[in-house]
Amino acid sequence: MSDELAALIGAEIADRAAGWDLAGAIPPEVLRGLGAKGALCAEVPAEYGGRGLTGRANGELTSHAGALCSSLRSVMTSQGMAAWTIQRFGTRRQRSAELTRLTSGALAAVAFSEPQAGSDLSAIATTITDDGDEVVLNGHKVWSTAAAYADVVVVFGRYQDGAAAVVVPTDTPGVTVSPVAQPLGCRAAGHADVVLDGVRLPADRVLSGTSQSLGLLTTLALTYGRLSVAWGCVGIIRGCLRAAAAHARRREQFGKPLAEHQLVARHLSELLVAEQTATRVCEHASDRWDSGSPEVSGEAVLAKHVAAGRAAHAAATAVQVLASAGSVDGEVVARAYRDAKLMQIIEGSDEICQLILAERALEGVA
Amino acid sequence: MSEPTTTPPLSAEHVRTELKRFLEERTKTDWAVDTDLFATGGVSSLFAMELVVHVEKTFGIAVEGPDLRIDNFRTVDAMTALVLRLAEAGSGE
Repeated sequence: MSDELAALIGAEIADRAAGWDLAGAIPPEVLRGLGAKGALCAEVPAEYGGRGLTGRANGELTSHAGALCSSLRSVMTSQGMAAWTIQRFGTRRQRSAELTRLTSGALAAVAFSEPQAGSDLSAIATTITDDGDEVVLNGHKVWSTAAAYADVVVVFGRYQDGAAAVVVPTDTPGVTVSPVAQPLGCRAAGHADVVLDGVRLPADRVLSGTSQSLGLLTTLALTYGRLSVAWGCVGIIRGCLRAAAAHARRREQFGKPLAEHQLVARHLSELLVAEQTATRVCEHASDRWDSGSPEVSGEAVLAKHVAAGRAAHAAATAVQVLASAGSVDGEVVARAYRDAKLMQIIEGSDEICQLILAERALEGVA
Repeated sequence: MSEPTTTPPLSAEHVRTELKRFLEERTKTDWAVDTDLFATGGVSSLFAMELVVHVEKTFGIAVEGPDLRIDNFRTVDAMTALVLRLAEAGSGE
């Protein structure tokens, strides 16, 4: 991990995560400050002003943020996914221009989901239409994480005979960003719906300038997102483990610390198992990412599925251990309880992950 | 991304053989060089990404931007042409 960036993120969050959760917002200057240091998309290469972290190091950084504040971590996931999409699909000129902005304080989101296209992204109905030197976008995106803060949203839609991603500045006429009111978890992550009504942009805002396969486009972008969410879940589990262990040591009932009660001790052991299991599976997937292994897409699904499930269980366990002390909104395990549930839904629900993993189970069997 | 390769120039035959080997290993199917891998009953988009990453790693090339078109990965022949073109362009830098 980058110790400098970890310290920076730690100092910015300090004791403010609970307040951000209750307010449903992170001060934009905090996000811009971290963005300008390259901390929100730390894998971007140095030639674009980024930190050039490996996937593994960025994963550890992501878990560090996730242990403190899943909302901020979600913003990192969005910024990183936008940057990765631009890096993979952008032309040389687009990479140079757009990535440099994303390491200079500009904030970005990605927009996949629509009212009728959640798990089934093949149902995306947003259109990107050529009109001379311009393209025109029409569509309705929902639940775009960090869109409420974003200067640009990378919008996925139908284009020519396939699909494309377009970098859309949110101040373009026809773009309306409406924050999701009181989301269940990651309440300060800036989830928003984005309506595109006849949005006109220069054609060079279409990444790669050509139509792509929707499946390949979304899979490449989501693989980064899944790794990032998985590491964020490792962070959630670590936060829960710390809080539960500290509480179990301190709090006494029946004349001895909770930790000495065997049923509570079992909860602590389960939290440790969750932390170790999720960490190992994330390390494995990130090492595949860093070594350029073709298995990375499947390993990212596995890591996300395992880590999200473990995080949800760990958060429920931690609330159980802290009991009334953990049942106050904003408190670390209370946030974890709500945030972890969303992690079983985004970037491929548990069920979608299971379908993909089942396909893998069937591979190679005649 | 891998450093530019210092090995001798790639031959189409070598690339084709390697791609067919990878496809057979992963899908247990012997694909003809001109068969559309993504046609009905073919491989998934998750596997498309595997192909992209495999081609990059195996041949030390970067497939980015417009080159990521799915048509470049549709058949063994299409991938072979892409690899040879990018390897050629890379060695000229």
